[in-house]
Amino acid sequence: MSDIIAALSIPVIRHAFLGMLIAGGTLSLLGVVIVSLHLTAIRFTLMHIGLLGAAAGMSLGFAPGPGAFTLVLVASVVMGVTGKRFSISASSVMGLFMTGSLAAAFLLLAIAGVPAMDVFGVFAGNILLMTRLDLIFVAVLGAAVITVFAVAYREIELVLLDEELARALGVPVDLVTAGLFVLVGAGVAAALRLVGALLVDAIILLPGIAALRFARGFGSALLLSALFGLIACVGGFFGALVFDLPIGASAAAASTLVLALSVLLSRLKN
Amino acid sequence: MTPGSPEAVIALSGVHAGYGSTRVLHDFSLTVHRGELVGVVGPNGSGKTTLLKVLLGLVEPTGGRVEILGRTISGGRETGRRTRRMNGSLRRRLARRERARVRRTIGYLPQLQAPPALPITVDEAVLLGRWGRYSWLRRPDSEDRRIAAECVEMVGMAELARRDLKTLSGGQRQRTSLARALARRPEMLLMDEPTTYLDKSAKADLMVRIIDLHELLGITTIMVTHEEVPGRDFDRVLRMEEGYLL
Ligand SMILES: Nc1ncnc2c1ncn2[C@@H]1O[C@H](COP(=O)(O)OP(=O)(O)OP(=O)(O)O)[C@@H](O)[C@H]1O
Ligand SMILES: [Mg+2]
Repeated sequence: MSDIIAALSIPVIRHAFLGMLIAGGTLSLLGVVIVSLHLTAIRFTLMHIGLLGAAAGMSLGFAPGPGAFTLVLVASVVMGVTGKRFSISASSVMGLFMTGSLAAAFLLLAIAGVPAMDVFGVFAGNILLMTRLDLIFVAVLGAAVITVFAVAYREIELVLLDEELARALGVPVDLVTAGLFVLVGAGVAAALRLVGALLVDAIILLPGIAALRFARGFGSALLLSALFGLIACVGGFFGALVFDLPIGASAAAASTLVLALSVLLSRLKN
Repeated sequence: MTPGSPEAVIALSGVHAGYGSTRVLHDFSLTVHRGELVGVVGPNGSGKTTLLKVLLGLVEPTGGRVEILGRTISGGRETGRRTRRMNGSLRRRLARRERARVRRTIGYLPQLQAPPALPITVDEAVLLGRWGRYSWLRRPDSEDRRIAAECVEMVGMAELARRDLKTLSGGQRQRTSLARALARRPEMLLMDEPTTYLDKSAKADLMVRIIDLHELLGITTIMVTHEEVPGRDFDRVLRMEEGYLL
């Protein structure tokens, strides 16, 4: 216990803790959106685009992390603006983007003479490299997620339930969808920083999936995913400290455990 | 409106509409008066859903004029080419505002779909029909909830009010949809194949409910379907084929 308190007094560890706390409690809400709008392919594409960003960053002589982060953010804004057209033709366009961005990434690396394997650093992520700026970004994004869900609660619910009906009622569906796309993209970018590309799902998807197994409505789905996200991220963080594991991997393991338990429990319930 | 004649709630004249290069409705004219129950019967792909979308302002006609409750939601006064072009953008803005107003007065039953991924109970689903009275930071109040509960009751779903949509039969989901449309306290109901995909008894049950509720509330109603409707219970049954009203 006193070890943990001592660890938390180290600024790097404290940043990591705050980052995981905020992400776990807020970014996890996006999982409900991703599942309901069938955006799983899009978030996968964003991870590939992140790889391209990392490659571009390294070719230009920067670290891979910020490159990945920037490109994913840009891509999500573009996605939000082009909006509907993107989600309609999802799977076909996504394949193109995924392979395309991978190809571009490796070409860039070859041309710049950077060893290709270095780029896989973004896959693992390193929360201890998180800067103060990163933390501020996660905090602002978390606040934005909460604000958007608070202000547009019913509107988002309608769009997730039945877009056509939402339109017929007069909900500005395109605006709401664009906002959600941008949030999802920014969420992927933030999770990329925290736990790395391969474990993005641990924060932004798995808690939502687990929540939807128990939820009775939109409100309880949101609350439960925040709860599960917190358990996964904070639990994972302390697990990492206690057992001396990488934080990202530990959080991903905790998140997987939460989902597995929820599947088991909901099976038992029925 | 001339004195003594029933008020026209819906007036389409010479409407052409479609999607991009697909033309669906051709020179479509239709007037529906207050309180009428009108059936529109046509085969798959004849443009029935498109007709409803035009009325909802979700599909913008390429020609003709659409008036709902005296508001022009598409196509304006035809006063010669010059003025029309000059006022184009202003007229479109006006039409958009009119569409928003009109949507507040329409109860819409979309075609039956698979239940949503998101969990939602019957009473919450019906409450969503009141969107527009509440929105953004304004939350549904006790009045909204009272009206929603009343409509759940009206379609005979009170006992199932706390059930999730996923656990309901098609017929029960359509009744929920009807309650949601009614919760809007609409001036008119637009129903897209409400009884399609239901088994025989659920079909009969819903049809009787729709007819009884129409009798009781007198809401102007258009029901489109590719199946036959009981003509004697309807004020009019129109037929359409390939985008033409027969
Ligand atoms: N979003 C769309 N984009 C392009 N074409 C469309 C779209 N929706 C419908 N159509 C076309 O418009 C025509 C009329 O469609 P509509 O849905 O209005 O028919 P319907 O009478 O409602 O058919 P159904 O009985 O199958 O519901 C069809 O040929 C269809 O292919
Ligand atoms: Mg149809």
